[in-house]
Amino acid sequence: MLSIKNLDAFYGKLHVLWDVSLELGNECVGIFGPNGAGKTTLINCIVGLVKPQGGTVEFDNKTLLNQETFQIIRSGIAVVPQERELFPLMTAAENLEAGSAYIPAAHAKRKERLEFIFSIFPVLKLKSSLPAAVLSGGEQRMLTIARALMAYPKLLILDEPSTGLQPSLTTDLFLRLKQIRQSEGISILIAEQNVRQCLKAIDRGYVIENGKIVLQATAANLADNDYIRKSYLGL
Amino acid sequence: MKIWKAFVIAALFLAAASLPFYTGTYLLHTIYIIMMYMSLAISWDMLLRAGQLSFGIAGLFGIGGYAATMLQVFTNINPLICILFGAIMAGLISLLIGLATLRLRGIYFAIITLAMAEIFRVIIRNLPDTWTGGAMGIVLNNAIFNGDVKQTYWLVFGILLITIVLSEVFNKSRIHFAITSIRNDEIVAMSSGIDIFKWLVVIFVITSTLQGLVGAAYTEIYGSVNPDANFSVHYSLLPLAMALLGGIRSTWGPVIGAIVLGLAGEYLKLLMPYGYLIIYGLIIILVILFLPDGIMGLIKKLTQKK
Repeated sequence: MLSIKNLDAFYGKLHVLWDVSLELGNECVGIFGPNGAGKTTLINCIVGLVKPQGGTVEFDNKTLLNQETFQIIRSGIAVVPQERELFPLMTAAENLEAGSAYIPAAHAKRKERLEFIFSIFPVLKLKSSLPAAVLSGGEQRMLTIARALMAYPKLLILDEPSTGLQPSLTTDLFLRLKQIRQSEGISILIAEQNVRQCLKAIDRGYVIENGKIVLQATAANLADNDYIRKSYLGL
Repeated sequence: MKIWKAFVIAALFLAAASLPFYTGTYLLHTIYIIMMYMSLAISWDMLLRAGQLSFGIAGLFGIGGYAATMLQVFTNINPLICILFGAIMAGLISLLIGLATLRLRGIYFAIITLAMAEIFRVIIRNLPDTWTGGAMGIVLNNAIFNGDVKQTYWLVFGILLITIVLSEVFNKSRIHFAITSIRNDEIVAMSSGIDIFKWLVVIFVITSTLQGLVGAAYTEIYGSVNPDANFSVHYSLLPLAMALLGGIRSTWGPVIGAIVLGLAGEYLKLLMPYGYLIIYGLIIILVILFLPDGIMGLIKKLTQKK
């Protein structure tokens, strides 16, 4: 589904991604790493917000490198950018509608989609007429994910979805992501620092440090890996 | 829509449409001038809702006026067709400018639009006199509808209605999501599948066409154009002030601002023919300082407290 090979990216003269390769099929994959490791840059390369200098990015066997972000999104990739979230003055329902408004195929089926969204996030149905700004932090995060799901994505990309959430909400968030993956069968790519919780939701994971992939393994193997246990789980 | 709201809108529409039957020439003239500025203010605001600040109203107003007048002089066809032609020309020129400049944002785009009006004025002034009349401009043989104030009023009222309807379409339809998200956060907009450049060009062309339409109507009403008058910065700044006074990012803010500032300007002109602009300026400064959300913002605050 998503195939990244030998990706190199720069910010000016600064080399930020070094020969990064990543494969993602119909599964949930995590990308872990400290701040500044290159997780967000990698996501931005996938969705066309950063143009890499070398390598390839393919989705469903089509290159994404010469496409604009809106074209990539319309091809079936939904992204929840880090800390760039809602339209605060719009209601929750309007925020959800905005998620499908410019994806032609999704817009036609938005009503059925809303029913699905409300079955996963019932609280959003109760608060659908409230402005997004008055929702709690956890509800706002649910709304951002729900808005991305309104586009009927084949691949959902989340950039640090647990940032700023209290531990119980983080647990709940990853449970719901697992639930979405099971019910929808979509692929999910999560860039995350909360490795402990994220490992419960993913099938495989990559560790990126200083712009290089340093480790890749299944969730179970990552959880048992000494380096991961010491550096990311504090065990 | 609630029934009472539809009723109020219908009543206002009927009252405005029937105004020529029970008011005099002076009042009608004053009102249709205010309506023209109202259309300019709303159209300026429509682009602002997408986060793009334009100082180029005068340029498109002038282009619309010149295109309509030149077609009138060269072909002597129905002035209404000339007005339509003026609007289309303003739209086409804005399409070319938009394609070239709408990758710019914020102050860079604003400066381009400011320069645009001046560049148009210089070009028109320096074209052969047989085309544009040079510095003296062009005087038509007759004003539209032979100067009949009632018909002129209905023409301007029609233009205002078109502008209000388009503005409400911008606010109430799916376009609203594109406009709001482009203004709020372009990354989120792109991540929602929105083609930002395309939408900015579409919005710029629509608002410019409206400004050209008003400019074309204005010249057909007054029967003359000249570069200094029709490209005057006055046509850029006054609608902007009206929108700020009434409250930006809505249809009704600029409407209220145009009524208040238009009537105040008319009264002050009678009171002090040459000094009214100072009072005007003071009103604008005070409003910006003490009512940053304009009159609409104040109304919202007061009604929310209740």
